[in-house]
Formats: sequence, structure tokens, C-alpha cells
Amino acid sequence: MKKIALASLLAVGLTGCGGSEEPEVLNLYNWSEYMPQEVLDRFTEETGIQVVYTTYDSNEAMYARLKLLDDSAAYDLAVPSTYYVSKMRQEDLLMPIDRSKIEGFDNLDPELVNLDIDPDNQYSVPYLWGTTGLAVDTGDVEGDVTAWEDLWDERFEGQVMLTNDMREVFHVGLRVLGYSGNSTNPDEIEEAYEKLSELMPSVRTFNSDAPRMPYLEGETEVGMIWNGEAVMGRDALPTLEYVYPEEGIIAWLDSFVIPKNAKNPDAAHEFINFMLKPEIAALISEEIGYATPNLPARDLLPDEVADDRASYPTAEDMVNAEFQTDIGDEALQVYAKYWEMLKSGQ
Amino acid sequence: MRSALQQPFKTAVLVLVWGWLLFLVFTPNLLVVGASVMTRDPGSFIALPFSLDAYRQLLNPLYLEVFLHSLYMAAMTTLCCLLIGYPFAWALSKVPKQRQMLLIFLLIVPFWTNSLVRTYALKLILATNGLLNNALLGLGVIEEPVRLLYTEGAVIIGLVYLLLPFMILPLYSVFDDLREDYLRASHDLGAGRWPTFIHVIVPLTLPGVLAGIMLVLLPAMGLFFVPDILGGSRNLLVGNVIKNQFLDARNWPFGAAASILLTLAMAFLMFAHKLSKKRLGEDGV
Repeated sequence: MKKIALASLLAVGLTGCGGSEEPEVLNLYNWSEYMPQEVLDRFTEETGIQVVYTTYDSNEAMYARLKLLDDSAAYDLAVPSTYYVSKMRQEDLLMPIDRSKIEGFDNLDPELVNLDIDPDNQYSVPYLWGTTGLAVDTGDVEGDVTAWEDLWDERFEGQVMLTNDMREVFHVGLRVLGYSGNSTNPDEIEEAYEKLSELMPSVRTFNSDAPRMPYLEGETEVGMIWNGEAVMGRDALPTLEYVYPEEGIIAWLDSFVIPKNAKNPDAAHEFINFMLKPEIAALISEEIGYATPNLPARDLLPDEVADDRASYPTAEDMVNAEFQTDIGDEALQVYAKYWEMLKSGQ
Repeated sequence: MRSALQQPFKTAVLVLVWGWLLFLVFTPNLLVVGASVMTRDPGSFIALPFSLDAYRQLLNPLYLEVFLHSLYMAAMTTLCCLLIGYPFAWALSKVPKQRQMLLIFLLIVPFWTNSLVRTYALKLILATNGLLNNALLGLGVIEEPVRLLYTEGAVIIGLVYLLLPFMILPLYSVFDDLREDYLRASHDLGAGRWPTFIHVIVPLTLPGVLAGIMLVLLPAMGLFFVPDILGGSRNLLVGNVIKNQFLDARNWPFGAAASILLTLAMAFLMFAHKLSKKRLGEDGV
């Protein structure tokens, strides 16, 4: 029944997929603003494979899309965050990566491979890692902002921006209360909701398309941001500062995975290979401000990038840092309920 | 002979129309109804057994609050559209015929641009360092920029802007049909301007008002991209709840049930509209 329902839902969308002698194509599904165009152009130049680039702004959207288009093989490569790799692996949505076709896997930071989310990296190859922390426009904000808790300060009324990401926003609420950002305890989640609803009068907007924009547009002056966005935002707004909050940063690792029904897994492998080249990895990290797990690439980075604490945190910055984990479906429903309440509450 | 020629054409048209309705209207709606009475499944979105849990969830006070707030914003939008659209349509019907066509054309021209693009344009106008604030600052009307973007007001402005033509067009058509004789008769019988308006013009334009409300109120609850862009992802509409349920919470039955709630509300409004037309018809005799 459900299969029929899905199939008929899809039937409308699947017209005109005739295969003929066209250039080889790789369908890449990636986060918005997460790969420089130059890198894609160089890949096409080197291999002759055209890249069809599609973007999403949340893991949830990516997951729903891949799951729905499971049979149609719309994408050859996707970039889920940390715990979505384990979720998708467990649900049998991924194709194992043929390590014999991959060169340069040894370039990767040993601390970022063979993690619990994917033992032995059978299904995923790390792309970039980053953090979600505090953004402060020091041009407008007087005094120090050092902790998530500071967002609740009265002086920021109507000035705060949060990412439009349920898990991240609740992570902040939970950490401020001293709980794990991966809590599955309904009481703790409710408490975090209560705490966050006190913050709501201060919240001006939620944004996960390009979280730097409300700061650049002058709409908000303090709040959450991804570190790469902070680095990119600094070009236009030099007073935008990235702060590691005392309660601990939210850390994530985004990895390449190949959907199980990918049409062109060979091209996907080739693309991963390309990404593992130190000079390419270095170029990406420099352009978009996130940290590369590629160790030889780090040596190629200009000093001002390699020493940039926003992109490459020190061990001290990472104290209390927490990676997001899969919280399971039951807890997800609890989060979803409070998220809806939070955003609709007046 | 004639019928033989006409028959294949007639059949083709009928097949096309019915086929269209069956595959692109009836079947998708049936799938939505089907999804709404199934059980939520984390793996495959929906699964058996059948259950009415999704509808029970709709009665949850949490979601009731969202729906009521959404209804409030949609109602404000409808009211604004009515307050602007009613005199607008009236004035429009008084303009010489040729110019009327031009004005209606101008009213429709914005539809040639995608509404998403127009909403982004509105964002540039309403932003803190946007066009409107800069203009007001330049004119010395205000000292500090006014915060317009990411407010409930911004969402309502966006909805009014997008939906106003849907209010004006049905109103225009009833004003166009409004016969001068009735107004003159009312005056001759001693009614002043105000009683004429209340007792003659309002009842005669009521079907247009109801049609306008129908075309504005429900779509206003569904345009989820307006709160996303102008409301800073706050001030949610039912449309946002439906989108969130399908994409983020992955609770398809609940999303489907919420969508059916909107359909039922539409059906109710259409029923009321029909009823009022019928009553009006009897009164007219």
C-alpha cells in the first residue's frame, strides 16, 4: 500500500528520463553555499564529468528527498551530517564505498575516521567539519559575550538570530541548563523548551539558508552561526566575531555518501577522490571557511587561514564541545512538538 | 452527419477534462486522505494499520493554538484586503469602460512574476536598511530605522500584497453588475446615502465579498514561504505546520490531516457562499 502510494506520488515527477549519448553526469546533492564553483569547474575540466549541483538547507530535507527518490536514483552523492550518516546507513539507504577506487583516504585526520557513526568508514568519507557557535557584531554590541546564556540578556531584545535547525536550537537550550545536547529525556527537553521560550521575545529571525545574512543586513547583532559562515561574513562585516561559548560548541562532521541506487557510482567515487586531493581540500577550506579533515591540505593553507581560530579551533575551544548523535524517532517527535510550539508561541 | 463529426471531439474533450480531474485532482487528494488515516512510520513515512491518531493530534491544544494564530493572521489579511479592495473595486466600476480594462490589466501584471521573487523584493523594501526606511529617514519622517522585517506585520503586509487581486476581482464583477436603478429607487424612496449603502449596496455585493473572502482567507493560511521570508520563520501559518510535518518531523499522517482540515474549511466556506447566493436570489424575487 505504502509503496503504491509513493510510486504514484513519484509517477508525476518522473517524465522524460530517456538515456542517450550524453556527457557523463554526476548528480551532487549538497548543503547550500558549501562548495566553491571553482572546484566543480576544475573537476569537470579534469574528468569531463558534468556536475549537476542541487542544494538543501537541512538534513531533514535531504533525508526526506533521498528516501522518497530512493527508487529513481536522482542523486549520486550527498553530504549528510554526523548522525544522519548512521541513520541512513542503518536504514540501508547507502551504497558501500569501494575503497580500492579511493586514493588519498590516508590523508584524513585519524581522529575523524572510523567513528561510531560509521565504523571503518564503509559508507562515508569525511568532507568538512565545523562548529555552530556564537556570532557577535562587535560594532554594535558593547561588553563581552562569552556564553550561550548571554543571549538571554535583556540588552539583546529583538537582536538575536538562531539557526532554523531544531536540533541545534535545542542543543543550546539544553547546554545552558547543563544537560547534554543529545538528550532524549522528555523532561529535559521540556525544560529546554521553557528556557528557550524565555529567549523568544529576543529572537528576531531563524535562518539556515545563509546564517550570516541577517548580521550583514543589520537585522541582528548577536546569535548563532556556523563557523564557515562567520568566516565568509567577516569579509563584508569585519566586526563580526566568532565566539566559542563556555557551555560548549556544537560540532559536526559532514561526509560524502553514495545513495544505494545511485546511477553513476563510478563518477561519485571519482569525485570523492578529487575532493581528497590536498590542494583541492585546501582550496575549499580557504574559500568557505570550514575545517578540512585532510591533514596534508592543512599544511598547504596560508597561515592566516590555518591560524584562524574560527575555522580551526584550539583544543581549549573544543572543551565541552559535543557532536550531535541520532536521538531516535521517539525523542525526535518530542523535539518536533516543542519546536513547533516554540516557533508559533508569541 | 453533424453529430458524427462532433461526437469524437466531444468525447476527446470529456476524456481530457475527466482524465485531468481524475489524475491530477482526485487521485492526489485521495492519496492525502489515505495518508491521513494511516500510521506514522519512521522508516517508510506511512504504514498500516489505519488509525485516526493524526486527527486526534489536530485537537491537541498546542496545534489548536498554531491554527488559531494562523487563522488570526489570515483573517487580518482578509480584512485588510476587504477594506482596500471594496472601495477599490467600487471606484474601478465607476471608471469609463476602456480605462477599466487597462486598470484590470495592471492589476494582473504582477502575476507574471513568480510570487517568491516578489516576496524577496518586499523583503528588500521592508529591511532595516531597506528602501522604505531609507526613504523615511531621508525625508526626516523618522529618526531611527523602524523594525518592519521579521514581524507579524510584515507577514500580513506580504499576504495582503500577494492576495489583494483575488479580493478585488470578484468584488469588481459584482459592482459591475450593480444597477443604477436600484440606487435611484432607494434614493427616490427616501433613503439617504448610508441606509442605501447598508440596505441595498452591501446585500447586493455580498456574494462578491464572500467569494473574495474565500479566495483570500484559505490561501492566506497556506502560503508558507511568506512567514519563512518576511516573518523570520516565526508567525507560522498552517502551511508551515504542514511543510514541517512532511519534511522535518516526518509525520506524514498528521501533515495530511492538517491539509485536509484546510480543505474542509474551504468546503464550508463554499457551502456558506452558495447558501447566501440562494437566499439572495429568493430575496430578489
